[in-house]
Amino acid sequence: MRALFSRLPWLSAAIAVSVLGVRLAAAAASIDAAIEPTQIMLGESARLTVTTSGSGTLSVTLPVVAGLEFRVVGQSREIQMINGTTLESTSTIVRVTPEAAGTFTIPAFGPKSGPLVLRVIPSGGSLPAPNGGAPADALPLLPGSGNTEGIRLTPDGSAYVRLEIPKHEVYVGESVPVAIQVGMRDGFVASINGLPKLNSSDFTLNNLSQQPERGGRVIDGKHFTVLTWHSLLAPVKPGSFSLSFEAPLTVKIRTRPQRDSMLDDLLGDPFMQNFFGATIPKNINVTSPEAAFAVLALPAEGKPPDFGGAVGNFKISADLSSAKNVAGDPLTLRMHVDGSGNFDRVESTMLAADSQWKTYDPKSTFKAADSLGFRGEKIFEQPLIAAQPGSHTVPPLSFSYFDPGARRYETAHTSPLHVTVSAGSAQTASSEPPPPSAAGSPADESHSGLRPDHTVTEARVSSLVPLYFRPGFLAIPSVLALSFGAAWVSLRRRERRANDAKGARERLRLLTIHTLRGQMAEASAAGNTTLFLESARSALQQALSAEWQMAPEQISLADVDARLGGDADHQEIRQIFALADEASYSGDNVKAADFERWTQVVERRTAQEKSS
Amino acid sequence: MIRIARFAAVIVALAALCFAAHAMQPAPTPPAPAPAQVAAQPPHQPHQPHQPHQPHQPHQPPGYSAAALYNLANAYARGAKPGLAILNYERARLLDPNDPDIEANLRHVREISGLPQETRNRFERVARTADPTQVSWLAVLGLSIAGLSILARHRHPGHGRKLGAAAVVGICLIAATVCNAVVLWPAMHEAVVTVRSAPVRVSPVTIEDAQFALTEGQIVTVRAQHDDFILVQTREGRTGWVPSTGLARIVAQASR
Repeated sequence: MRALFSRLPWLSAAIAVSVLGVRLAAAAASIDAAIEPTQIMLGESARLTVTTSGSGTLSVTLPVVAGLEFRVVGQSREIQMINGTTLESTSTIVRVTPEAAGTFTIPAFGPKSGPLVLRVIPSGGSLPAPNGGAPADALPLLPGSGNTEGIRLTPDGSAYVRLEIPKHEVYVGESVPVAIQVGMRDGFVASINGLPKLNSSDFTLNNLSQQPERGGRVIDGKHFTVLTWHSLLAPVKPGSFSLSFEAPLTVKIRTRPQRDSMLDDLLGDPFMQNFFGATIPKNINVTSPEAAFAVLALPAEGKPPDFGGAVGNFKISADLSSAKNVAGDPLTLRMHVDGSGNFDRVESTMLAADSQWKTYDPKSTFKAADSLGFRGEKIFEQPLIAAQPGSHTVPPLSFSYFDPGARRYETAHTSPLHVTVSAGSAQTASSEPPPPSAAGSPADESHSGLRPDHTVTEARVSSLVPLYFRPGFLAIPSVLALSFGAAWVSLRRRERRANDAKGARERLRLLTIHTLRGQMAEASAAGNTTLFLESARSALQQALSAEWQMAPEQISLADVDARLGGDADHQEIRQIFALADEASYSGDNVKAADFERWTQVVERRTAQEKSS
Repeated sequence: MIRIARFAAVIVALAALCFAAHAMQPAPTPPAPAPAQVAAQPPHQPHQPHQPHQPHQPHQPPGYSAAALYNLANAYARGAKPGLAILNYERARLLDPNDPDIEANLRHVREISGLPQETRNRFERVARTADPTQVSWLAVLGLSIAGLSILARHRHPGHGRKLGAAAVVGICLIAATVCNAVVLWPAMHEAVVTVRSAPVRVSPVTIEDAQFALTEGQIVTVRAQHDDFILVQTREGRTGWVPSTGLARIVAQASR
């Protein structure tokens, strides 16, 4: 193992040089370089960190500077997911060793990175402290403690959150641009898991940038990747408050004993550390040091009546869409408010109506000059119509705001505007809607896409409610439906009644047949021929009446001959009818054997009727 | 048969009488605007209440007209009042659903106001093409045809096929009216935001913070009303109470 460690710097250097020799598939077409420290004693070495990031391919070539020796000592590659965006960066660590004292300029590595300057002081001299103190980056920063720049590292020294605020005394409603920096030590932070969050209910955070700016810095000799978000901070009430920001991160926790930390640092490359199982991931929230604010209330004294809450520094100007116009045609009066401040509170009622002008409510648009919306221009547009032709003057417009720098209210005024309104065909506009051409004039550009008005000719209706939703109309289909329903019920009832009468008649007929057949059996047993034949004829008349749709008593021998000509029972039925007539008149007896045959004929016929 | 014919004649005469009475009815004066409608005045009025003549509506006769509502909406659109413009376009569309100018200007105003365009499925598009007044009377006609056909078919089974077809035609006319009513029913309970921003709260009081805000021209469904607050539901399904002064119903309740 010792042999391995002794060879490791050379191994890393060899790998790095081989990587530098080819074109790097970097994540961005940007390259950055930093040298730390910028002043060293002769005999010491400085650390040059070359960082490529973003998408694209870049090659890094070591510079050649007379008197300086460059040697690659390590390289790390990092891929981060921030808000779904993959950021890939490669850092190459180069040891810079001067061969002589003096000031050396290292040429720029890319178009965006400037040249680097290294001062080398002869041995025996002393390093001057900038601004009378020790350089911040050179000061050792203990984990968990803060320094004068507002950096407080996490206990493991892997990350920090820092807030950059231009001032600590603000007014209620004032927007203050702030920068939230999240520093992540290279190789020790796996990912940032969300946007920085404000830990205070006394302020609002507006327009937080979605994509951070990326940079780097060295703290205590350790390189940090710094992501910077910009936003606007606005206090909501007066008082003394403090706030902090926190960011969710996933860091790699060292699992090796602290005494081996030097060895971990020696490994340098996180890949090598992971290879040896030195770290595990852990989610943490990194919080910035608290920043104190004194929030002042806006003074009541000197407050203009038209003050709407705008706090900042603004200038206003005004113009008209046209200096000449036709009476009745609309003009557009524009007021431009530009500057910096809380533009969401910049409002204006513009010009009030008077005898000269008909006015409409103004509409505003905002053009931001920066990503935060802190600087920009708000434009108010108000349609005007001159009541009468002639030379008119649009009176000056005013806008009041509070200037936090001067600590007083200011009222800005525009110059009066002059317009000549001629009489024309647009006089008719006083009694009709403006024609589409007027609507599409430059004064009304946003509504040029409107189609022209219609001529009102059709009859008017009393209500917007469709006819079928009105109770008065619904009575008509209701009455109709009820009428049809009643008619249907009436028809069905009549039909049912008719069916009932027919059924009753049928039942009576079957009962009669049954009774007659009983009489036939009794007459047959008693040998009463006359009664038998009359009962048999009556039973046959009942059976045939349903078939022929005739009254039973109307069926005679002639009907039997006429309708049963081809029937198998024709002769027997005819004989029964004939004998019954004869027996009823003469009273002759019939042989007993005939009873059975004729009974069978009657049963067969009535059975047919039942089945049908 | 004579009795059926007499019954049919009475029904048709009754329907014709109702239609004639409706057609000859003079359009009454629209009801007084509800509080939510106060803002729905022509754009020049708030600025010049003492104007001797009103240029955009010189002598407006009583009642509603699609063309008059359309012209009023255009005036609001030119006066940078998209909420009131959309309100009057929607009203005009109720009366004249097939006017392409209304559709085009409504789409234009929505676009320049940054509001999403309406999306309708094929059923809604087809069902909305019919004039509600016409389909109302078609429903009466369909009901008459279907009823008479069914009655006659019962009495004369020999003509069952022809009378059955007539009954189907009548039922189709009724179905067309029902479809039109189903599509227009939501509009009876919709309102348009007429102010630049209408705060939406959890309860009908003003002491609490707003959950979210409605933008001018946005159309919401009215669920309930309590004093000066209206319970609304947005197309995204969010609900809350809005001051009634910031809304105007497409179909005012007083006119129903």
